[in-house]
Amino acid sequence: MADTIPLAEARSLVAKARSGDADALEHLYRAYEAGVYTLARRLTKTAEDAEDVLQETFLEVCRSLGSWRGEGSLWGWVRTIAANKALMRYRREKVRETDQLDEELGSGARSEDVPLRLDLESALARLSERTRAVVWLHDVEGYTHEEIAELMGMTASFSKSQLARAHQKLRGWLDEGSSV
Amino acid sequence: MERHALMEELLAVRDGEGTAWTKGHTATCPTCSAELFRVDQVRAQLKALPVYAPPRDRFAVIAAAARRERRARWVRSAAGLAAAAVLTGLTFVALRPHADPAFERAALDRAMERSQALEQTLHALRPEHRALPGAAAQAVAELEDRLSRIDAQLGDPGAWQGTPGRAADLWQQRAGVLSALVDVHVTRVAAAGL
Repeated sequence: MADTIPLAEARSLVAKARSGDADALEHLYRAYEAGVYTLARRLTKTAEDAEDVLQETFLEVCRSLGSWRGEGSLWGWVRTIAANKALMRYRREKVRETDQLDEELGSGARSEDVPLRLDLESALARLSERTRAVVWLHDVEGYTHEEIAELMGMTASFSKSQLARAHQKLRGWLDEGSSV
Repeated sequence: MERHALMEELLAVRDGEGTAWTKGHTATCPTCSAELFRVDQVRAQLKALPVYAPPRDRFAVIAAAARRERRARWVRSAAGLAAAAVLTGLTFVALRPHADPAFERAALDRAMERSQALEQTLHALRPEHRALPGAAAQAVAELEDRLSRIDAQLGDPGAWQGTPGRAADLWQQRAGVLSALVDVHVTRVAAAGL
């Protein structure tokens, strides 16, 4: 998602929101709620988790407005807070999925939920939470492997290998779907 | 026979990295070239997936929580100020028992009293409930930052106890910043007719 608020306007809105202006805060919320929620949906397990991340993110934004230096993209700053909040849940729950879990999800427990012809959305949902987070942060949000490593507490080389394995899986599932 | 590029190598080429061998190989191998195109397409398709809309509007909840936290910060700030005032007074007496502190002490007392009076005036203006235009909001934000930095120094005796007159100077600075904040909000009240 591109930043929808020009930098000068962002500076003004942040200053107003910091002084307690509810309208300015709402403007910021409306501009970024869908972006934050979409990111949260991709990085968490359920829609309820994503809603919680949305709320936690904006509360943190309210608390930390003074730390945005007004130099870089405001959306980039908000997005990093959102990614951290989503991944914090992941770390807190000590999710340690393996590729084996991906396979189980794909062929076992959730097989009834999987349509015969898989589209990309469904294939993405079959990835483990950790793998899906790496794919989304790298391929869609544009984070580097080094940045993902820092966010997720892993090494950059592990992030690269997760991405490669994810693409192998997506390829297999999408091929499987299209050949039916 | 030359091997095909691994997925990790193809992704590196896609991302503008990749080794010379992988770049050269994917340029000439139809299989790897097709695979490279494919992973690039997957990324494009991922980016094109629809944006989700939150199922419920959470703004009211967030705004209410933000207001509560803001009020709590004001209360903590007032309590911190009172503690800093006591600390300054006690440390002043303890560290300078043999000096003739009458003039310095009087200056410190005046600055602290002025600061506390301005704090009460500002609190009565309920600034957290007032919307400010952009320039005023920017000025308030900068003044609040300065106030936080001064408070941090006042809360750290090491920042002023070794320098005569420093504590009084910091309290005077604090009163000056508070006076400017009061001016901004009083002007806003007058302009808005509130």
